[in-house]
Amino acid sequence: MAASKAPAGHFSILYFAAASTFTSKATEHLSAPVEARDLFSKLEALYPGIKDKVLNSCAVTVNLTYIDIYGDEAPDLEMVIKEGDEVAIIPPVSSG
Amino acid sequence: MSTTEPSTYKPDIPSDPVAQTTANIHIELTPNALDSLAATRFVRSPSAGATVLFIGTTRDTFNDLPVSSLAYTSYAPLALATLHNIATTLLAKHALTRIAIIHKLGECPIGEESIVIAVSAPHRQAAWRAGEEALEETKKRAEIWKLERFEGGDGVWRANRDGVMGVKVGEGEGAA
Repeated sequence: MAASKAPAGHFSILYFAAASTFTSKATEHLSAPVEARDLFSKLEALYPGIKDKVLNSCAVTVNLTYIDIYGDEAPDLEMVIKEGDEVAIIPPVSSG
Repeated sequence: MSTTEPSTYKPDIPSDPVAQTTANIHIELTPNALDSLAATRFVRSPSAGATVLFIGTTRDTFNDLPVSSLAYTSYAPLALATLHNIATTLLAKHALTRIAIIHKLGECPIGEESIVIAVSAPHRQAAWRAGEEALEETKKRAEIWKLERFEGGDGVWRANRDGVMGVKVGEGEGAA
């Protein structure tokens, strides 16, 4: 579950539930830095179709804090995901 | 939204329980069988006249389709933080004495406990309300996912917020 430490110049990304199904991965390392606004298009390039089928209904955390990157005016679009950060794709939850 | 998993899918779960305990809050995610008595004992207090215990067990159907097995996975560090935040908020809002929220991870056989919530308060009204609110907030927010496997079919990731059958992930899967 916990990602292994990202190598230099990379961040860790964790995929849960449907995101893990779609990528066939629980975690991987991607090159940093990335502007938060480019995260979904970067993932779409790696996994064609993931944006519509999975990401559009997911939330995103960076170092355990939710970021808001939905819509043109979203507050965290210019945030930079840096080397060593832990990003997670959070599909709609289903506990209980 | 939910998507399907092949029947061979095994969720990645911690082999040991992860927990966060303070004097009046106990949060735990565990691959072990849930112990509702232990949760009750944690919240009991001479200053609390009411203890409310909720036990959620896994159902054998979804929309009348037979479910053969269930498994839970989690982003454990974030789920612990979220559950602790829910507990802290309810403790203050309802002047609770203590609260415990324990959730199962990994395989959960049908009919067994998947969540246990225990709350204590000086009086019963606060305990009832807080118990219900703790469950609703947990279902809405805790970063835990349920995979339901149907008899003779694949698994489906459930989403609490839509309550409808999932859509299959098809082409493009694992494209990298």
